Amino acid sequence: MIQLSGLSKTFGTQQVLKEIDLTVDKGEVVVILGPSGSGKTTMLRCINYLERPDAGEVRIGHLAVQGKHPSRRDIHQLRQRTAMVFQQYNLFKHRTALENVMEGLTVVQRIPRSEAREISARMLEKVGLGSKLDHYPGQLSGGQQQRVGIARALALNPEVILFDEPTSALDPELVGEVLEVIRRIAREGITMIVVTHEMGFARDVANRVVFMDGGIIVEEGQPEEIFQRPREERTRQFLQRIMPEPNYSI
Amino acid sequence: MSRRFDIQYVFEFIPKLLAYLNITLLIVGSSIVLGLLIGLIVALPRLYNTPVLKRLSQLYVSFFRGTPILIQLFLVYYGLPEVLGWIHIDVSRLAVLYFVIATYALNSGAFISEMIRASVAAVDRGQIEAAHSIGMSGYQTFTRVIAPQALGISIPLFGNLVIGNLKDTSLAFTLGVMEMTGRSQTLGTATQHFIETYIALSLIYFVISFGLEKGFQWMERYVNRFDGHRSEQMLRASWRRPLRAVPLLGKGGKSG
Repeated sequence: MIQLSGLSKTFGTQQVLKEIDLTVDKGEVVVILGPSGSGKTTMLRCINYLERPDAGEVRIGHLAVQGKHPSRRDIHQLRQRTAMVFQQYNLFKHRTALENVMEGLTVVQRIPRSEAREISARMLEKVGLGSKLDHYPGQLSGGQQQRVGIARALALNPEVILFDEPTSALDPELVGEVLEVIRRIAREGITMIVVTHEMGFARDVANRVVFMDGGIIVEEGQPEEIFQRPREERTRQFLQRIMPEPNYSI
Repeated sequence: MSRRFDIQYVFEFIPKLLAYLNITLLIVGSSIVLGLLIGLIVALPRLYNTPVLKRLSQLYVSFFRGTPILIQLFLVYYGLPEVLGWIHIDVSRLAVLYFVIATYALNSGAFISEMIRASVAAVDRGQIEAAHSIGMSGYQTFTRVIAPQALGISIPLFGNLVIGNLKDTSLAFTLGVMEMTGRSQTLGTATQHFIETYIALSLIYFVISFGLEKGFQWMERYVNRFDGHRSEQMLRASWRRPLRAVPLLGKGGKSG
């Protein structure tokens, strides 16, 4: 179980997160929606302390990490229990797909190379890249790179995978393959927190949708509740802007 | 009055000058090795943003970048014994060559520290975050993610530095060091065939620089072999086949 409490963050004079509380149960898929600047990416990055919150607590299982200056060991523990998939993929460009996935296993988890290789090959197989093990990121399409990114996160066997707009940098025709992979692993019961603008995906895959605006959680609930009967005016306006009522039928 | 131009002298001078190539290469080699050490030490406070040391390193770099190397040679040769004399270290009987090497090392160190700083800064920030996100420590991130890629970025810069250093060593004769340029002066004076000595000298410098350039190009391609696009660019600019982008340390084959 992941629990955020009182998470606050200020950049300069702008308060980006205002005492956020959020609980995510094991196996849950939570999708975070909200306009840009609403704090959703910052919140996600606070969960593994890529961004240090000014105040508040991140709790994963029995590990609780607090405030702006936790011990290095706590941060390390936190990062070992989480994994992140980035908007810009952020693969290690000097390493092959297989080596990218193996890196965390051999260097951080200290798993023997042969075993790490086996796990990594299996993960790449799972995301449909079994034939691209020895390709460098520069030789892969954006969609393939992002799938390597997902394999890298999966291989670490984390308690939660954080997705930071995983399809926003992709060409439209490549979005499908990445969403398909995420959808598939979501069904395996891996806990996921996903920041995205893909409404269709949110509706299909999420167990719960969280709507953020202005650094607070405005509303949260089942996808059908949020999409069909939003309680808050701000949610309604956002949804209308992002998916206007079609005036035609297919 | 110098004598009439005679191409024969060029060929005659080349081996005579080459006899002093070892001194030139000694200056280049040792000052680059020392310069790498100095450069790394000077770059560290700026990479880690250490308050006071950062300013000192900036001062050092701007001094050596902002003054002519000829002046630096004189300053080190005449100034260093003076300064070390205050702390009772007597270096006045040390051979000139050591002062020359010290100057070139200090000079290269300044440029190398900038090279290191720029190369590290050029590594994609996102990959560093990715390394942190999978739980790598700062040290692991540096050695496994930043350093290998910074190395690839720095090679063309480093090549320029080494070639520049090679040519700068021609100034060492001003302090009386008998390296190639110094030797060309004496040859010219003795035979009155100055143009021929300078042609011979230019040819030698050019051939060595050209060799270094090709060597560094090969190295750049080798270190960046994961980057298909870059090695393709290099192919167009080069006379040799690139190593194919192959996994791990495999060598490029003849086929394909």
